[in-house]
Amino acid sequence: MSEEKIIICRCEDITLEEVREAIKNGFTTIEEIKRILRTGMGPCQGKSCGLLIAREISQITGTPIEEIELQNIRPPYGGILFKEILNNVGDKIEK
Amino acid sequence: MDNIENVELIVVGGGPAGLSAALAASDYGIKVVLAEEREFLGGQLIKQTHRFFGSEKEYAGTRGIDILKRLIEDVKNREDIKILASSRVLGIYEDNVVTILNNNKMKKYIPQAIILATGASEKFLAFENNDLPGVFGAGAVQTLMNVYGVLPAKKILMVGSGNIGLIVSYQLLQAGVSVAAVIEAAPKIGGYSVHASKLKRLGIPILTSHTIKKAVGNKKVEGAIICELDNNWQEIKDTEEFIECDAICLSVGLTPLIDLLKQRKVKTVYVSELGGYIPLRDENMETSIMNLFVAGDVSGIEEATAAMIEGQISGLTVAKRINKNQKEEIQRKIEEAKKELVLLRSGPVGEKIRKGLSKIGLNHGENYDESILKEEFDISYLMKTGVPSKENLESKFPKDKKIFDKGPIAISECFQKFPCDPCVKSCPFNAISENGNINNIPYVDFEKCTGCRICVSKCPGLAMFVVHKNYTETSSLITMPYEFLPRPKKGELVNVYDRDGKIICEGKVIKILDSSFQDKTAAVSVEVPKEHFLEARNFKVRYLKHE
Repeated sequence: MSEEKIIICRCEDITLEEVREAIKNGFTTIEEIKRILRTGMGPCQGKSCGLLIAREISQITGTPIEEIELQNIRPPYGGILFKEILNNVGDKIEK
Repeated sequence: MDNIENVELIVVGGGPAGLSAALAASDYGIKVVLAEEREFLGGQLIKQTHRFFGSEKEYAGTRGIDILKRLIEDVKNREDIKILASSRVLGIYEDNVVTILNNNKMKKYIPQAIILATGASEKFLAFENNDLPGVFGAGAVQTLMNVYGVLPAKKILMVGSGNIGLIVSYQLLQAGVSVAAVIEAAPKIGGYSVHASKLKRLGIPILTSHTIKKAVGNKKVEGAIICELDNNWQEIKDTEEFIECDAICLSVGLTPLIDLLKQRKVKTVYVSELGGYIPLRDENMETSIMNLFVAGDVSGIEEATAAMIEGQISGLTVAKRINKNQKEEIQRKIEEAKKELVLLRSGPVGEKIRKGLSKIGLNHGENYDESILKEEFDISYLMKTGVPSKENLESKFPKDKKIFDKGPIAISECFQKFPCDPCVKSCPFNAISENGNINNIPYVDFEKCTGCRICVSKCPGLAMFVVHKNYTETSSLITMPYEFLPRPKKGELVNVYDRDGKIICEGKVIKILDSSFQDKTAAVSVEVPKEHFLEARNFKVRYLKHE
């Protein structure tokens, strides 16, 4: 099995090899791995990679998967243009 | 601020759960804002061209796309429901403000209650070259095919044998795509046996204890390497096999779409039986945040019938809280819905759900009837192969073989306990019974059965057949459900197959029932040599190749 050809995060093109390397280097939460590898920061926001990374952490560190937290999710859910935020405030700002 | 609108209830998600929640709340005068991120309502139902299981009360036997039409029509007729389509809920904040992007504007609302029915997303799988074009999720394949009418591939390898994997494989075949095989890592088929049997009869291999190692191809999928797994899910050496295909379809489970719940810091827990990280919630579907409810797959992966009932429970609970009157009536309806859910989950296939729910402290166990928790037969062979064993079949055939001589009789080839009753409800002669519990296996009372063929088109699992042994001196007439196009013509010769998908003889089409009553599941009667009357269970029109 070549880990470098197995994609874990499709949005950011992160491989299983990179994820395993990070875990071995001591980054053992989804939040930490996200910060150093950008996993879960693409358009899908971790929907493909989240569970796969949780399972890798669990297998390598021996932590039960129930004890592994998902990454934080903050508003907004999905992309938004500044124009769309300002549109609601009214004409005076648009001008 | 004056640009924040106060509303009674916001329902997020216009799928079966969200629509049912909105309807249930508006039944009691609650004003609902229903936000759906896509331009159309219906959620996953929009691609479910197959008939649903479950109880007839909750639309079983009806195709998903038709359930959807009824729900949408109902919602559109309600003045109390304001539909915001193409509207994505972007944020749920701690001060209860909900922001919705609608019509290029970010709108703000303060609702008295929120019901989140955001559904689920598909799980992804780690294997070599899993980023090659041609690796699809089953949901994507179904959307392309059933919503947009686009063929995703010519030949597909299906990974995963849950109900979605089995149903999508069948729909691919209906669309003229060939299915190389369905592979399943577990030692047994994950979905209902009737769905697997449908594929087996069409000759599709279902390989349990097999997984995908690698997608093969240069710029796109040209094949896959699969291998066999042992009891510990480890690869067995030298079992690698190349499967030629131009697409790989992943159907390896769903996981709740909890992003909006995480924003609001709802407590979540990992429960593998329910698909991954799920919100903690009580039996009225309320989460750890007061007046924030969930319904459907976002609360744990189940199926559409349960989602609709959960939607009702959450909608009614909100109505009971806001509505000043009718509290007792609403409570009675809530209790009824809960009973319905318990019934749906009470058979052996509901075991996983029950186990998952008990992990979050929702154990309705006291209501479960012990006698139906166990499978009636040993179906291990059936669940490994998709083909019923001899013993299984014997148990459903008439004990007295002379009954075959009386004329046409219905044979039910349904061997697994799961909540489904359209065959029972369809019989005008009350000849099919499940002994009072929707989870029980249906039996035909051969004395009452007239061989009318109504059940053949009504069974969502295509497991009802009508057998007329002594059609002539030398031949029998077998009536089988048929859902492919083009239809055979009267008098046409067809190839007849057994339950294993092996060709056994030639047959002649005698009669086709295919009116609006059959609702696209034709009942086709094929004359076969008499010695095959217990084996002939499928046929293929000759000029069609769906291997």
